[in-house]
This record gives sequence, C-alpha cells and structure tokens, in this order.
Amino acid sequence: MKKTILSVLLAALAFAPSVKADKLVIKGSDTLGAKLVPQLAEAYKAKNPGVTFEIAAEGSTTGIAAITDGTADIGMSSRRAKSTEMALASTKGVKMVPTIVAFDGIAVIVNSANSVSALTKRQVEQIFTGDVTDWSAVGGTPGKISIYTRNTASGTYADFKELAMSKRDYAGTSQKMAGNEQIAQEVSKNPAGIGYVGMAYMKAPGVKVLSVDGSLPSKSTVQGHSYPLHRPTFFYTNGPASGLAKSFIDFVFSADGAKIVEQVGFVAAK
Amino acid sequence: MSHFDIKRIDQRPMQEALLSRNKFHILGLDTDTLIRYFFSGNAWVAIIVLGLITYSLFREGAGFFPQHWEGLKTYRLAGLEFVDIIRDQSEAQAGLVKYLDKVRVDRAAELKKSGASGEEVAQKLQALEQVRNDLDAAGIPLQEFVQQMTQQAAGVKDRWTEARDNAISRDQLLKAGMAEEAKAIAVEKIDFGREASALTARIPQYHEISRTMAARLADISGHLPQVQDPVVAREIRHLQKALENFTTGFPDVEKRLQDWRYDRPVSAYESLTKFIFGTQWITQSFWQDWYGFVPLFMGSLTISVVALVISVPLGIGAAVYINQVASAREQTLIKPAIEFIAVIPSVVLGFFGVVILGEFLRQASGWSWLAWVPGFPFPERLNILTAGILLALMAVPSIFTFSEDALNNVPKAFKEASFALGANRLQTIVRIIIPASLSGIISAVLLGFGRVIGETMVVLLCAGNRIQIPDFAAGLAVVAQPVHTMTGLVAQEIPEVVKGSLQYRALFMLSIMLFLISLLINYIAQIFVRKFKISVG
Repeated sequence: MKKTILSVLLAALAFAPSVKADKLVIKGSDTLGAKLVPQLAEAYKAKNPGVTFEIAAEGSTTGIAAITDGTADIGMSSRRAKSTEMALASTKGVKMVPTIVAFDGIAVIVNSANSVSALTKRQVEQIFTGDVTDWSAVGGTPGKISIYTRNTASGTYADFKELAMSKRDYAGTSQKMAGNEQIAQEVSKNPAGIGYVGMAYMKAPGVKVLSVDGSLPSKSTVQGHSYPLHRPTFFYTNGPASGLAKSFIDFVFSADGAKIVEQVGFVAAK
Repeated sequence: MSHFDIKRIDQRPMQEALLSRNKFHILGLDTDTLIRYFFSGNAWVAIIVLGLITYSLFREGAGFFPQHWEGLKTYRLAGLEFVDIIRDQSEAQAGLVKYLDKVRVDRAAELKKSGASGEEVAQKLQALEQVRNDLDAAGIPLQEFVQQMTQQAAGVKDRWTEARDNAISRDQLLKAGMAEEAKAIAVEKIDFGREASALTARIPQYHEISRTMAARLADISGHLPQVQDPVVAREIRHLQKALENFTTGFPDVEKRLQDWRYDRPVSAYESLTKFIFGTQWITQSFWQDWYGFVPLFMGSLTISVVALVISVPLGIGAAVYINQVASAREQTLIKPAIEFIAVIPSVVLGFFGVVILGEFLRQASGWSWLAWVPGFPFPERLNILTAGILLALMAVPSIFTFSEDALNNVPKAFKEASFALGANRLQTIVRIIIPASLSGIISAVLLGFGRVIGETMVVLLCAGNRIQIPDFAAGLAVVAQPVHTMTGLVAQEIPEVVKGSLQYRALFMLSIMLFLISLLINYIAQIFVRKFKISVG
C-alpha cells in the first residue's frame, strides 16, 4: 500500500515540471545558433520569465529536418530548403515557411601584418580556387598563400563557393577548419594565411578584413547590397509562426532584438 | 582416528560433505551450471554486439558502390567528362604560367638577399616578366571557352539532378496518397544524346582556339629572350622544353575529344577502382564529387609512421630500461608515470597540440640556428609533425606496457645461462633477452600502430585538414605539410551529411576501410607472434 502511494506520487512529480514551463525548441544552423540565437534567447527570457529555450546548433540540414519531423518549433538555417526537403515536408503535412531573420556578410580576412588590404572579387576567386598561389601576384610580399576554409558540414562553405568562386571547387591545398573561431585563430597566427568568417568574427584579434571590390562588410554595405558576399539567414516554421514562436520572432524584429543582432555582428533584416 | 575429528562448518561427516552435490537449484540448474551459463552468456553478448556493428557498417557502406556508379555514369552522360578533357589542357597551360611565377619570385628573393636593390631586381627579371605575361595572355581564349562549356554541361547536369529530385518528390507524394500534388510536379525528360551532340558540335571551335594557342606558344618559344642571369637563362631553357612537350600533346587531346562518346558504358568495376585508387576527395561540389581514398589513407599513414618513428625507440627503450636495468626505486617511480600518459584524454592532448605545441614548433622552425633542418621554416602550425608528435605521446604507454610484458615473459633461465657463459649485461640484453621477446615486442609495435591509425580527436584538431596527397618530392620536409585523415574526415563530415546520400555512404566506406585495416594489423600481429615465438621448455 505504502509502496504504491509513493510510486504514484513520484510519477506525478516527474510529469509536473513539463506541464508548467513554456519551452521553445530551436534547432539548426551553427552560424545562427552559436552566438546570435542564444543571446536573443537570454534577452527574451529576461523580459518573459517562465520561458525556457532548448537550442541545438548542429547544422542547417538538421534544423530543416527537425521542423519536418516535428521535433522543433523553429528551424534555423543559413540556406534555403531544397525542393526534396520541401516535398518531404509536405508528405508529412508540414508547410515550411521561411522568415528572413538577418543578413550575414562573409568577411575575407588575412593576418594583420599582411600588406594587402583590398582585393577584387576575381582575385578572391583566383586565390581560393588555387589559380594564384603566391601573395606577390595580388600585390603582397612574396610567399605561398595558406588557405583556410570551413568544411562540408558548414553552410558557409557552400555559400562562399556560390558567392565568391563562381561555383568552382576549393584549391586542393586548402585546409578545412571546424568553425569560424578556428579559422580566425589560424589566420591570426599565420602571416601568409587567408580565410573567410562570418561578420560576427571580423573583430578577432590579429586579423584584418579585406575590402572586396572596394567595399568593406558592414551594416550599410550589406543592406545596400554593395558588398558582394552576403546571404540571408532563415527561421523555418511549420506554417506561419504562431504562439511562442511568433512572440520570439516578433522580439527578434523589435528594436531590442535588432540591437542584439547588430551587436553580434549580423545585419538586421529591414 | 577419533582425535582427528575436526569441527567443520557444515557439521556433516567428511565423506558426505565431499561427495554430495550442491542442493541449491533454480529452474532445475545448480549453481555451477548457472555460473557457467552466465560467463558464456557474457562472451556471447560481446560476439553478438561485434557482429551487429560489422553488419550495420557493411549494410550502410555497401550502398556506396551502386550510388557511386550512378554518379560516374552521370559524369559521362551529361558531358562533364568531355569538358574536363579540355579543362585539363587549360590547367596544364596555367601550370606553365605558375611555374614562371615561382621562378620569378624565387629569383627575386635570391637577388634581394644578395643585396640588389628593388630596381635592379625588376630590371633583371623584366624579360622573364614579359614572357610570363605573353604566356598568360595566350591561354585566355581557351580558359573562356572552358568556362562556357562548363556552364553548358553543368546546366545539363543540374536539369538532370532536378528531374531526378522531382521524380523522388513525386513518388513520395504518391506514396503518401496525395495524387493532385504529385501530378503538379513536372519531371523533365533529358535527351542526353542531343545534349552531348550540342557539346561535341563545338569541337571545331575548340580546334580553332587550340590552333591559335599552339601558334602563339610556338611564337613565344621561338622568341625567348637571351638573359645575362645564368639562373634565369636555365629556367628559360626549361620553359622552352616544357612548351614543346605541351604543344606536342595537342593532337592527343583532339583525338580524345573526337573519340569521346557519351554512351560508352561505365563498368561497375570502375566504381570500386575510382574509390580505392582515386586521388581526389571533393564533396559538395557544384561540378562533380570525387571519392578517392588515397589522399586520406596517405594522411593517416604518414602521421602513423611519424608517430611510430618517435614512439617505438622511446617505448621499447623505456621498457628495456625499466625491466632490465633500472633499480627498484626507479621502477616504482617511472612505470606508473609512463602508464599515466595513457590515461590523459585525447581531446586534452589535441587542445595542447593546437594551442601550445603547434605554435611552438612553427616558431622554432623560424630560428636561424635551425635553418639547416629540411623543411624549416614552415608556415603551417597544424601539420603531420604536430599530430605525429602527439600521437607518439599516446602510443608510448601502449608500446611500453606490452613490450615490458614481453620482456618479463622471457624465462629467467635465459638470463642466468647467458651470465653463466660470461656475457655482460648489455650483451645479454641485446643478444638474448630482446630476440627472445621479439614476438611480443613486434606485436606491441603493431598494436601501437593500430591505436595510432584509429585515433580521431588529435588528428582532427592538429593535422591541418588538407585533403591532398602530401608532396613527397620535398623529402623529409613532407612532415611540415598539413594532411587529412580517414578518422578526422568522418568525424568532421558526419554532423551535417544527409542520411542515405552518396556522401553518407562514402563515409561509411571509409569506416569499413578503417575496420579492415585494423583487422589486417591484428592479423599480421598474430602471424608475427606465432612466427617468432620461441618454445620454452
């Protein structure tokens, strides 16, 4: 008798917390989920206590898959969903609706001791595809160029190929780093290094941002589309956003949210 | 005799206690049988789990070959192979320009070092610069032609991929019973014959461009400048020969283009050979994905070799010292210390390698008193050397422990007999003890090798991740180059690979190759153990 009462009480206690709290599950892109969305979540929680967030940033593909499977409320993605992903979603009765949450500029960085400070888009393509292998060909001190890129798990890897390299493949000598931070680290330590990072990592110590076709990545050049290497980032939801998800997205577009977006280094969607 | 009646716990007479069987039974089995079944059950669970892992590995990986074959067939059908023939020629020409660039940069550096001013250097190399610019300009029409052909063939491939994706989407919708949405999807039928003819119809245009280029190259080759500088003069003669070789290859390229057929069948065997012997691993390409095993295998192999070269002498030497030479106090101090290294998590070592060791090695390579070392100074701080040193650190405890066990197992009689015959300690160790324990030492080295080739975290963080066969022409300096490994690549790409795609299956194929390599190493270790085992007694 005592044992049954005890076990029923314990079971009730186990279920209680999950009934009370409001939880928003956000999965997807590392570009958004590493710094931006956690900071937005913190600010949102400060204004709306009682809401918990579960943020898992394992890549854009996982975000889209999570919305399709129904395991997330918001899917972060740094690329558009492919037609096969949209079709799979519609077979499960899920309507994928994208919302552009911010623009991300991709900054080309070199070591701060490098004498080169400006490149044309064509020169960026030549360097990253391996057509040009020496700094003297683009006006720097002679030395072999060391290229640092992301790896195929990254949306930025594919986006950079499309935006800056006319869809050609990276040079065989390029080194595939795990994330923005690691690229910034390696470039800051290697005087002959070049790499690309999201705008949020432009201000890392020891690196210098190159201007591409005459413009440096900044809020105005990205919004005005004069800086060539930028892309939109998305929140995907099942149908138009509603409930807690809509409330969060509205916060992101509010003045406070826009300030955080700027602070982290993205460009707020107008 | 009665005064030997000992008080026993169970108070039964001796005979009954010894001969009676245990009365405790569950399910009709006594405790002996239960214990036997328990332990054999444990063993069976281990075997079953191993079998399941092997089965799932091979099931996922086996789907690689059909999909790879499809990819290779598309490469030919959509005309990408045709365009790549011309692209190779254009890249060879660009290679000549890059060669001249390298010559110019090297020579300028040498002249500057010997005290020439910037103007003198520019003046001396001006003729070379002119040749380089002419050569570059000669290649531009072909590059533009290749770009146009690329867009044309890539367009065909994209349409084919989209049609295939649409067919899959339509099937998915039909299977879910949504007939109207399925009907709304249009699946384009691609006529590859027509597309291929559109490509081959441009052969006359290619012919024109290549003839012009050959003429311009002949012109450049015939009017190469005479220079004072002996080094530059030698390089210019080199260039002349290279140009000749290049232009004599033109008819060959034309023949290949004429002979190319879009519908020549791709054998299934090619799907295997292009994986095992392929020299490029390019994924998520807008053009064509290549899954070649060789660069990753060479990366793993070179790092393992460097690690073994460092760790085998250290491990075996330490084992010999501890086992044969050291005093008891040293033994109790040193042995646990070495075995403690095995406990350090590999990610901690990887972190240490990235932040401290790699940076230190790179700076050390810049010290002037080390300039004689081949490959110093090197620019990359994450390379074979950094990863190799850390892996050696991880392998030393394994090699040490197993070697020490092997040395311990040499019967004392050998040592005593050797001393009795008048050998001193060193002779005993080198001539008797080590050869006697050779099988154990070799299997220790092989197990260390197996450990090192399967290590993931350290190589992912410290090896530099360049997917390219290291340039062995640099001699010993090859260890300063970054490489990628089988283990590191799987760890890097698994997070965002689409389940069931060709890349996913290729990663499983890499895992299978790793599995087979480990099996092979273990098998060879067993052979060595059997071959070198000395029979004792």
